[in-house]
Amino acid sequence: MSGGAQGRGRCPDCGCAELVEDSHYSQSQLVCADCGCVVSEGLLTTTFADEGHLREVTYSKSTGENERVSRSQQRGLRRVRDLCRVLQLPSTFEETAVSYYQRAFQHPGLHAARLQKKEVLVGCCVLVTCRQHNWPLTMGTICTLLYANLELFSGTYLQIVKVLGLDVPALSLADLVKTYCSSFKLFQASPSVAVKFVEDKEKMIPRTLQLVELASETWLVTGRHPVPVITAAAYLAWRSLQPGGRLTCSLSRFCKLAGVDLPHPAYLRVQELLAILLRMAGQLAWLRILNLDKQTVVKHIGDLLQHRCILLRQAFRDEAEEEEDGQQEEGEEAGSSTLEVLERKRPASSPPPLLPPCMLRPPKRPCPTPADSRITGDEDISDSEIEQYLRTPREIKDFQRAQAASQAVSGAPTPS
Amino acid sequence: MISSPLLSPMEEEPYLEIYLDQCLNQDEPASTSSHLFSPIGPYDAYLHISSNQETLASHLEPSKDTSDFSSVDLSFLPDELNQENIEQTFTEGKEGVEGNHETQGDPSRLQELSEKNNNDICTHNLSLSNSGLHQLSDGTSTLPSPENSNSSFFPLTSMTPLTPMTPVSEGSGIVPQLQNIVSTVNLACKLDLKKIALHAKNAEYNPKRFAAVIMRIREPRTTALIFSSGKMVCTGAKSEELSRLAARKFARVVQKLGFPARFLDFKIQNMVGSCDVRFPIRLESLVLTHQQFSSYEPELFPGLVYRMVKPRIVLLIFVSGKVVLTGAKERSEIYEAFENIYPILKGFKKA
Repeated sequence: MSGGAQGRGRCPDCGCAELVEDSHYSQSQLVCADCGCVVSEGLLTTTFADEGHLREVTYSKSTGENERVSRSQQRGLRRVRDLCRVLQLPSTFEETAVSYYQRAFQHPGLHAARLQKKEVLVGCCVLVTCRQHNWPLTMGTICTLLYANLELFSGTYLQIVKVLGLDVPALSLADLVKTYCSSFKLFQASPSVAVKFVEDKEKMIPRTLQLVELASETWLVTGRHPVPVITAAAYLAWRSLQPGGRLTCSLSRFCKLAGVDLPHPAYLRVQELLAILLRMAGQLAWLRILNLDKQTVVKHIGDLLQHRCILLRQAFRDEAEEEEDGQQEEGEEAGSSTLEVLERKRPASSPPPLLPPCMLRPPKRPCPTPADSRITGDEDISDSEIEQYLRTPREIKDFQRAQAASQAVSGAPTPS
Repeated sequence: MISSPLLSPMEEEPYLEIYLDQCLNQDEPASTSSHLFSPIGPYDAYLHISSNQETLASHLEPSKDTSDFSSVDLSFLPDELNQENIEQTFTEGKEGVEGNHETQGDPSRLQELSEKNNNDICTHNLSLSNSGLHQLSDGTSTLPSPENSNSSFFPLTSMTPLTPMTPVSEGSGIVPQLQNIVSTVNLACKLDLKKIALHAKNAEYNPKRFAAVIMRIREPRTTALIFSSGKMVCTGAKSEELSRLAARKFARVVQKLGFPARFLDFKIQNMVGSCDVRFPIRLESLVLTHQQFSSYEPELFPGLVYRMVKPRIVLLIFVSGKVVLTGAKERSEIYEAFENIYPILKGFKKA
């Protein structure tokens, strides 16, 4: 088709402004009217309308690849890529996460889900990818990035793991410690961080790691959220490295200095860790005489961590050995379980058992053992028993009147 | 010589000698065999001993899902019933004992074995008496109380390994308690929910929130959801019979309100049980070894979710040793699932 030559540019050869659109067979060309040189050729792509205006048509549009993929899925895939870029993940993660999203989208349950759930699905795919490459990413981080609530996230995550049959390894605690501690703003002096609070990263991270390992050996990590444990360990490690100026610093202040959120369970974890450390300190002769308490034990954390294996073994008796001793000594009244062994009289000087805190606390109420009744399920049901559940006609009238009155007062529509 | 619960001293002697021979073959000091002579306390005490220690029997358990009595030495039982089994069980027992020495399982297990071998004979003997007693109880109609068993001797009615009616085996001494039963029944008539809510004291009905009447009765303490189609869901009972009784009471209430309610297709849909193994469990290790069945996300839930394939039961395992079993349609499924998981959990006891 031939159109006007205005505004198309100049011929590079002769400089003439008159360029004519002419087609050579089906390929349109822009030809100089004077010298006949071909300024530009039509593109070998498809969309007729676009080519008519000599606009380039991208590959994905021309092959119809995206027509197969719905707009919602395209949006989701774009979100996956954006999220990977925000988290600064390696590029291989992006491809894996995209493929998981595509696979998940095939499933009818997730295909027809609400937009909110699809948004959360983006986070789930990225999380699964990170876990499989041992990249420490917590669900809390993703939820804050996506502005999603954890309940919806957890439901979708468990669903997608089941539906896709994925094998997701556990969160690696050591890597999480390193990443989390590296995000602290304590390693350089700044207007908000006084010099006495600045700490060397290379000293703080190994000590935090050791404290976290201690916590996991003493049952403080199993079943609990990992981040508060790490916060507590980092706090104690930081304090112990320079106890002079830092003993008085509270946990909340520490978190403000470091620039991280304070997770509420961290208070309890600190107390639990200190209790373990105090027990261990009781095994070292030169510390026993000092009568340490929760503040002063922080000064000796370095020593305690250095000898932690031996101290743990001495400080906490192993239940197995206790049972064996119990067996040999008290033949007939054999201990029935770990807990009953605890309850029985034992010498006051013997060490306490190494148990998770939930087992050390006394049970809130005794579990009632059900009465062994000989109910067959076909017993007679007396009329009086059933009548106790029915309203008398008088009561019905009263109830209806009361309901009508309350509806009239509240101005609600017709009662149920 | 002390008397064991089921044998007279004369009968038990040759078998004890065989055990002692096996024991001398192992590298254990002779003094440990004194465990055989430990005084007998109440029967319950033995149940607890066997539950505390890693028993030989649990190692000998074959991979069959039904009763594991085939590898157990039942030689103390009367001769004509088990002559053919004696040889087999003895050889299996011996293999088991030797096999234990060669076990290259986790170091913790190996350590346990070397520590506990001296106790194994004692517990093996006791666990046999447990298993023997309960196998016997299958045949008899009444369950003998533990205290009586010391003095009486029960004739064995059947030697074929049966899944015991009472869920005590050599593996554990623990019985999961049923906590909740969910059942459904069809009342087979259309119901006017407004009328039910008006005439019944124990009913609540809020159609904007949920399209059913929620009714509660005091004895047994249960709740029912009654739908206008006539279908009803009954929850909260602690046993199958109580659930059925409760459902009947609800149906009776509906009947008294003037509807032609019937009681069709009563079916138990779900049973939930719980128990306590009484030792802490390393959930992180459990999820590593049983990855295909377990799901442990401490960021989401403090317990480990174990989806057992046979029987199809979901178990929630917590660090304190408490186990919740759910998804069963029959009581035996819960017991079977617990017996399957108990040896697995014991493996993580001291890890």
